[in-house]
Amino acid sequence: MSTKNYLKKISVWDADTARHILSRALFGFTKNDVTFALTKTLDDFVDNYLLQDLTEPAAPQYNGADWVTLPHNSTNQPNYPLWFRSMLYWWYSLMLNQSYSLREKMVLFLHNHFVSEYGTVQVPQYMYIQNKLFRQYAFGNFIELTKKVTIDPAMLIYLNGNVSTGSNPNENYARELQELFTLGIGNYTEDDIKNIAKALTGWTVNNTNLVSVFNTNRRNNGTKTIYGITNTFNDGVAANYNVGPVIDLILTEKPIPASEFLCRKLYKEFAYYEPNTDYVTQLAAVMRNNNFNLKPVLSTMLKSEYFHSVDIRGARIKPTVEFLLSALKQLGITYTNNDLPNYIRTTADSLQQSLFNPPDVRGWEGQRKWISTITYPTRNVYTDALVNGKTINGVSYKMDVLTYARSYPSSEDAVQFIEDVSKQLIQFPLSQARKDSLLSTLLDGTTVGNWSTYSPGADTRLQKFFKALMRLPEFQLS
Amino acid sequence: MKRREFLKNLGMVTGAGAVTLTISGIPIKAFARPFMNIKSTNGKILVLIQLKGGNDGLNTIIPFEDSTYYNKRPVIGIPKANVVRLNSLTGMNPSLQPLKQLFDDGKFTVIQNVGYQNPNRSHFRATDIWLTASDSNQYIYDGWVGRYLLKTFPDFPNIPPPHPMAIQIGSVQSGVFDSPEGGLAVSFNNPDSFYTLVNGINADSDPPPATIAGDELKFLKEIAALSIQYASVIKEKADIGNPVANYTAGGTFGTQLKIIADLILGGLETPVYLATIDGFDTHSNQNRTNSHPLLLTRLAESIKAFQSDLEKYGLADKVVILTFSEFGRRVNENASGGTDHGTAAPMFLIGKNVNGGVFGNNPSLTNLDANGDIKYVYDFRQVYATMLRDHFEMSATEVDQVLLKHFESLALIKTTTDVKYDFDIPTDFALKQNYPNPFNPTTRIEYALPQSTDVRLKVYDMLGRNVATIVDAFQSAGSYTVNFDGRTLASGTYLYALETNSERIVKKMILVK
Repeated sequence: MSTKNYLKKISVWDADTARHILSRALFGFTKNDVTFALTKTLDDFVDNYLLQDLTEPAAPQYNGADWVTLPHNSTNQPNYPLWFRSMLYWWYSLMLNQSYSLREKMVLFLHNHFVSEYGTVQVPQYMYIQNKLFRQYAFGNFIELTKKVTIDPAMLIYLNGNVSTGSNPNENYARELQELFTLGIGNYTEDDIKNIAKALTGWTVNNTNLVSVFNTNRRNNGTKTIYGITNTFNDGVAANYNVGPVIDLILTEKPIPASEFLCRKLYKEFAYYEPNTDYVTQLAAVMRNNNFNLKPVLSTMLKSEYFHSVDIRGARIKPTVEFLLSALKQLGITYTNNDLPNYIRTTADSLQQSLFNPPDVRGWEGQRKWISTITYPTRNVYTDALVNGKTINGVSYKMDVLTYARSYPSSEDAVQFIEDVSKQLIQFPLSQARKDSLLSTLLDGTTVGNWSTYSPGADTRLQKFFKALMRLPEFQLS
Repeated sequence: MKRREFLKNLGMVTGAGAVTLTISGIPIKAFARPFMNIKSTNGKILVLIQLKGGNDGLNTIIPFEDSTYYNKRPVIGIPKANVVRLNSLTGMNPSLQPLKQLFDDGKFTVIQNVGYQNPNRSHFRATDIWLTASDSNQYIYDGWVGRYLLKTFPDFPNIPPPHPMAIQIGSVQSGVFDSPEGGLAVSFNNPDSFYTLVNGINADSDPPPATIAGDELKFLKEIAALSIQYASVIKEKADIGNPVANYTAGGTFGTQLKIIADLILGGLETPVYLATIDGFDTHSNQNRTNSHPLLLTRLAESIKAFQSDLEKYGLADKVVILTFSEFGRRVNENASGGTDHGTAAPMFLIGKNVNGGVFGNNPSLTNLDANGDIKYVYDFRQVYATMLRDHFEMSATEVDQVLLKHFESLALIKTTTDVKYDFDIPTDFALKQNYPNPFNPTTRIEYALPQSTDVRLKVYDMLGRNVATIVDAFQSAGSYTVNFDGRTLASGTYLYALETNSERIVKKMILVK
């Protein structure tokens, strides 16, 4: 039985390949980014840029003051809404300014995998600690990360681990740990849930030091049977009492379901939402051979020929935050205060992606669920605003259409210009009818021969053109 | 995985050719073509309310005379004194007081113990089961309402109906409306802002390439087309409608029902609406005032206001509200003052034409499944079947097609012709000795089903050959009597067996000719 090798490395490294990889790995990219990527080899660019280990960014501040280490108490609580926003804007900024790194995409992936909701946790410090953990493990070991997440303060609060006791365990975390975080439905029984719930008891949260703590009196001392293996699972290792053996057990007893489950999710996030089973099976083997380290898996996926095939290119509907931020980056719109991020935040809320507040423990479902009869026109209104100019507190955040157009060598050749701009801004190949329609929008009555960005009214024509371009359904795809 | 099929023809919006139209300047009637061959609905409307997260049925409808309830829920059990009584054994959470008058007027039905075999306790899988109307182990990619709508509007998308087929208040379209022709609902939060937003959106009939990415493009175009098609009529009807009841106590959920009332009062002919109220995943501290009690208050106040508007404008006989949730919760409370995921739970049915009352008995809190959860009595698809047959007046054949097999309906709607309502639901699966026995040539067999289920009653000879099948159908919980005619068989001893997917009982009978 010979199955196609889906993980075979792509042999081509050209502008189309570079744009595809950049569109999936970053929150937007420019023409210069494509040029830069092509000065490197594919291996060099993926392994030493996209997957480079970066230093940790400085923590968010509110009005220039630190808050992430301040205790959770009633004195600090009134500040939480402001602290929370400062963290949100901080994350937007990391996403926009991460250079050539996949890291923030992975942080968002992990946030959407190990879901906690700020609306339930209600302590921004804990959400920050969790976000920081995801960044530390963005390319790291998934088993270790799962152990840390299990006793992460935000997670202990969100899935009730902090109120689960030996005599009366709460099943919430034990269920989602298996269903959503490691194995997927069908790979465990209701009894496994009950026994894992027992085994993980004893952990609570210390609000002064902002850490999780283990309390022997709250843990279950009896034996538990998980996947047919009976043990107390009380390992006495202070760093993560009981958690280590339980997580190790899941991933050593069920390595195939676990690796396939996780690879399926990575595929859905970075390639396409309906996973290719053979591809996932092959990628999962890579994951197991690398003991659940994420970096080699990501490297293999990003370089694989199938990841770059016509099946995958342009087939992904941009998630909301990516849609909003990438448009800023693509169009060259920058900001210096919180006014624009605040507009992004409210738009993201109505477009159903409020960071730190996924809709439920499964997270954002993605792809077609981003688009409904209400969100689709709302996305159009947003891109219109970036071309027309979004004025907030007297400042207009606006694409400079003339400067942008003239950054293309083809700017004075209308037909070629449309070809070049649409390739840069849209991953989905436009049909000739689309290009013709865009051309007539751009020319707006004039002729190709008379087109110039220096002719009177060229800016208005360009504005109409860019609005029409970004209103295309193709612009929703990446 | 089976890929969904999508609208075959984007030309439905703009006619043939690669024409680009916008809603501005184009009379909306250009989109609202006459019905032609389209079967119309019967004018009835179903408002679905999804209680997201798994509503705790036992703290919603309370068996206040059952001491087991209080033993298993020492902290969170609703004290008998606080219960709003519906009858001598069954009451409501005090937060549901706003629904009491509707109950007393016979316009509110509580359907007890609704679930299905081999219940799934995952939020997401269980939700899919409820939305697609599948069996526990059956994976289906379209929603039961989506299938209903395509039966009702068989010429869609070639001839789209003038009003939306379904409306969802919200921003993420529910799988209940998925169909082989795409998601069929229009989703929005406010009719006016929806209209303003859509003004300027483009649709075209440029055919997408036949690739995976092309399918995604096609999907985007369909959504654009749906918004353009219906934003105008939605605004027009919302402008006409004038709900006067006070929905404030219903919070944002009240706003959802107010919009639905507005559209119905304005004359929109959309047959199905979906509103959603989230927050029912009450693993901890569920009796605090801003948790389960608040959710129930909002639900009850909103429904009360909605019904009052419908009554005022004389539309109450057209509309039925049905609530559902992915599962109920465990009988035992947990240590956190909450409840973990469970199984069967009550559904609510509200409307002028419902058979008001408590349908079914309180759940048994001692005869539980291996996990400590309530055993269901009625299959949720029996409730759907009832809506389709008795509310929407679909033919029995079509109902079976929508629900993918036959489910007996329940006597929940006044127009119902058969009565299956039985307070004496048997507690055990049982097959009685036939009578007379020995027999010639006919005999009577009685059996009892504690749950609605697929059931087979078969006759075997002593060599194990199946010589007759007396029953092979989905049957509602209850007691049954059938006659068996043995005149085609030779004299001798036969076995008769009652089988469901999980149980089997065999007995002997003797035919003496």
